[in-house]
Amino acid sequence: MTAPLLEVRDLSKAFGNVVTANNLNLSLTAGVLTSIIGPNGAGKSTLINILTGFIPPDSGRIIFQSQDITYEPIYRRVRLGLCRSFQVVNVFTGLTLFENISIPILAAHRRANGLFSTVSGEKAVREEAHRILQRIGLQEQGDLPASALSHGDQRVLEVGIALAARPKLLFLDEPTAGMNPVERIKILENIRQLSQEGEVTFVIVEHDMDIVFSLSERVIVLHRGDVIGDGPPEQIKADPHVREVYLGEEVVA
Amino acid sequence: MVQSLVHVCLAGISAGMFIWLVASGLTLIFGVLRVLNFAHGSFYMLGAYLCYTFLRFAGVDFWLGVLLGPLVVCVVGYFMERFLLRHVYPLELPYQLLLTFAMVLIFDELVKMIWGAGSIGSPTVPGLSGSVSIAGRDFPVYNLFIIAVGPLVALGLWAMLEKMWWGRIIRAAASDREMAAAIGVKVPALYTGVFVFGAWLSALGGALAVPYVGLLTTGMGEAIIIEAFVVVVIGGLGSLKGAFLGALVIGLLTSFGTRFIPTLDMFLTFILMAAVLLWRPQGFFAES
Amino acid sequence: MNRSWTYILAALGIAVLIGIGLFSSRFILYLTMRVMILSIFAMGYNILFGRTGLLSFGHAAFYATGAYGVALCTIHVHSHPVLAVVAGVIAAAVMALIIGFFCVRHTEIYFAMLTLAFGMMVFSLMWNVRGITGGDDGLSGIIRAPISLGLISIPIMKDSQYYFFVLMFFVVSVLLIHRIGRSPFGLVLASIRENHVRTEFAGLPVKRYRLAAFVISGAFAGLAGGLAVFLESNVTPFAAHWSRSADPVLVSLMGGLQTFSGPLVGSVLFVVLRELIERFTHNWMLWFGLILLAIIMGFRGGIVGSTAALLKRSSEQG
Repeated sequence: MTAPLLEVRDLSKAFGNVVTANNLNLSLTAGVLTSIIGPNGAGKSTLINILTGFIPPDSGRIIFQSQDITYEPIYRRVRLGLCRSFQVVNVFTGLTLFENISIPILAAHRRANGLFSTVSGEKAVREEAHRILQRIGLQEQGDLPASALSHGDQRVLEVGIALAARPKLLFLDEPTAGMNPVERIKILENIRQLSQEGEVTFVIVEHDMDIVFSLSERVIVLHRGDVIGDGPPEQIKADPHVREVYLGEEVVA
Repeated sequence: MVQSLVHVCLAGISAGMFIWLVASGLTLIFGVLRVLNFAHGSFYMLGAYLCYTFLRFAGVDFWLGVLLGPLVVCVVGYFMERFLLRHVYPLELPYQLLLTFAMVLIFDELVKMIWGAGSIGSPTVPGLSGSVSIAGRDFPVYNLFIIAVGPLVALGLWAMLEKMWWGRIIRAAASDREMAAAIGVKVPALYTGVFVFGAWLSALGGALAVPYVGLLTTGMGEAIIIEAFVVVVIGGLGSLKGAFLGALVIGLLTSFGTRFIPTLDMFLTFILMAAVLLWRPQGFFAES
Repeated sequence: MNRSWTYILAALGIAVLIGIGLFSSRFILYLTMRVMILSIFAMGYNILFGRTGLLSFGHAAFYATGAYGVALCTIHVHSHPVLAVVAGVIAAAVMALIIGFFCVRHTEIYFAMLTLAFGMMVFSLMWNVRGITGGDDGLSGIIRAPISLGLISIPIMKDSQYYFFVLMFFVVSVLLIHRIGRSPFGLVLASIRENHVRTEFAGLPVKRYRLAAFVISGAFAGLAGGLAVFLESNVTPFAAHWSRSADPVLVSLMGGLQTFSGPLVGSVLFVVLRELIERFTHNWMLWFGLILLAIIMGFRGGIVGSTAALLKRSSEQG
């Protein structure tokens, strides 16, 4: 068995009296499309924020590809291959789609420091940006500013920016929120395909249980900072404890 | 030595009280409107010039001048908020700052056009013009009066914000303006009110400064706004308590600085400001 | 704009500037030099303000550092003008590096306040360290020695000679800044303005880029200050006063923030308007304030931005 892609050891975080991560231990395996679910306030977003470096943990360790990254700054985690998308639209609204995608590519190619070269002269970067735009189905709009896109397309672009950073592990925070059904199918198909190609390992936070159970190979259930369920979708669906605290609530609501 | 120290202290405190009057309005406006008003020092200057004008040309009593001058400034403040500032709230921060900066230039030049570019001498206050002996040296009665006014204003503000219903509305709006709007507070009117009130505080400081400063100059607004900035930064942007303590610190620091290390006193003030911004950006005296 | 048009326009601009240098009166020469110096200041400043979205109230300090650097180098070290200018630029860049290191930890209002505080520290040092800076009198009588290049030496004593010295630095600065605007680095700065969190999550150390933008704009401010010292032959601490930091802001705003040519157009307007207004009234600052007010209230695109929008609209209709 190979070493896990990401390992979380005894991770804790509390905001005042609210515990959002309680001695969490997790490990994520490369190539396994994983979903994190849990009721509101379960600590899903906090967990992603801690793992990607947005907020520091109170204690514990994060090991990515056998390297301790607990206190690494965000940009270095991204360079190592740990990236994320956001729950709300978080793109460069005033820049063109092409530029949006180019920024992480420039970073990944270590070409972002050039003062006197031109962006248009970076052939490799340009080709890769076009490839990604094509992949997410926005190649036609490459020269439009991101602000001209529909909300759903901006969400697609958001995923595109995250992909352009060449992640090995990519956290998607509610990737389909605010999308219409057509866009939703498009983006999910994209995720499934990319996951099968095996270069990117996805971890998805989602509310829509249909998506979670149809897409994931593994489901982790969080509740008040604890992992209360972890396994293949069928097993989670059948788990009485999970049903009680989470799925049960969902049915009642 | 001791007597000189006492006097340096007293001078620092009285200087600090003027800064406090400007800083209190500045920090109140920032707390509610989220706008840092460069033109706040101009209100101070206008308060002084208008008070002087009432004394000199209308022949009114000093206290009437102190009442009337700031009232005129309130009208100026009303127009500035209502017709200019209100339109830049949705814009990015630089535009808000630059708008108030533009107002500084306009106010300064208008004052020069109306009252002349030179400095003008100011009158003494009947009844408060003498001095008393403190620690074996004379100290102006008027400065003692100012030392009393500062805490009184602070007390009044505290009572207003803590005890009165509209004080509570101001505090609610300062902490969460969406929420305030949701519970039915007329936010635009509140903004105008707070801005005008802040302008009044600053102009009151200016009017009271007329006998104190001796000479009125167009630079007086710019000089005090920088000190008030330092003060609200040290106290924590939006904190009145912080502004009061900050004003005392800056008043004393400047007073001691001028007395003992005159070459570095301005430098020290800005070092303090930068240090607070770097290590405690929420301010030195702000809670939490 | 079409690429070939840009080249034609640039060539035309340089031809006009050379023409002014060869044939115009001393007064026009002087004004044009002021425009070019202000342009360097404003275009450099705009890398930080328009591009990266950081409003600094401390850039007058770097302008003054460049100015004092040139003056002190000329007086105490060596009178070679190129050497002095290089020394001034380096001094300003180092100062910007030190001050920027602290300032880029914050954004928005805290950044503005920090730059104000540090800028005023520099001002008070220049004011108080009389032995070196001459206190409130400043330094005066800075002469323009000939540029010696081994065997030949080029005099720049006369304004008509110094003009080409300024023009050279101006053209180089315009080229550099234009190039930076299209570079990956420039794109990263724009992305920081748009969304600094996303930029960090694109794998880029945002603070370091902010610092780099700060230092680059500080260096150009220093260059402007250095060239101004040779033009005016003196410098006083007021060059470092925070209110002077508003000049490049107004120039950028007048021309248009998000455009490359904005600060250039803005500088011409600024200098010409100032000359005109001062001829008729003593209240230049009042007009300065009113213009600023008008731009903020109504013409936030500046001249270049508003004109471009107007052209676009009419071409869409037509």
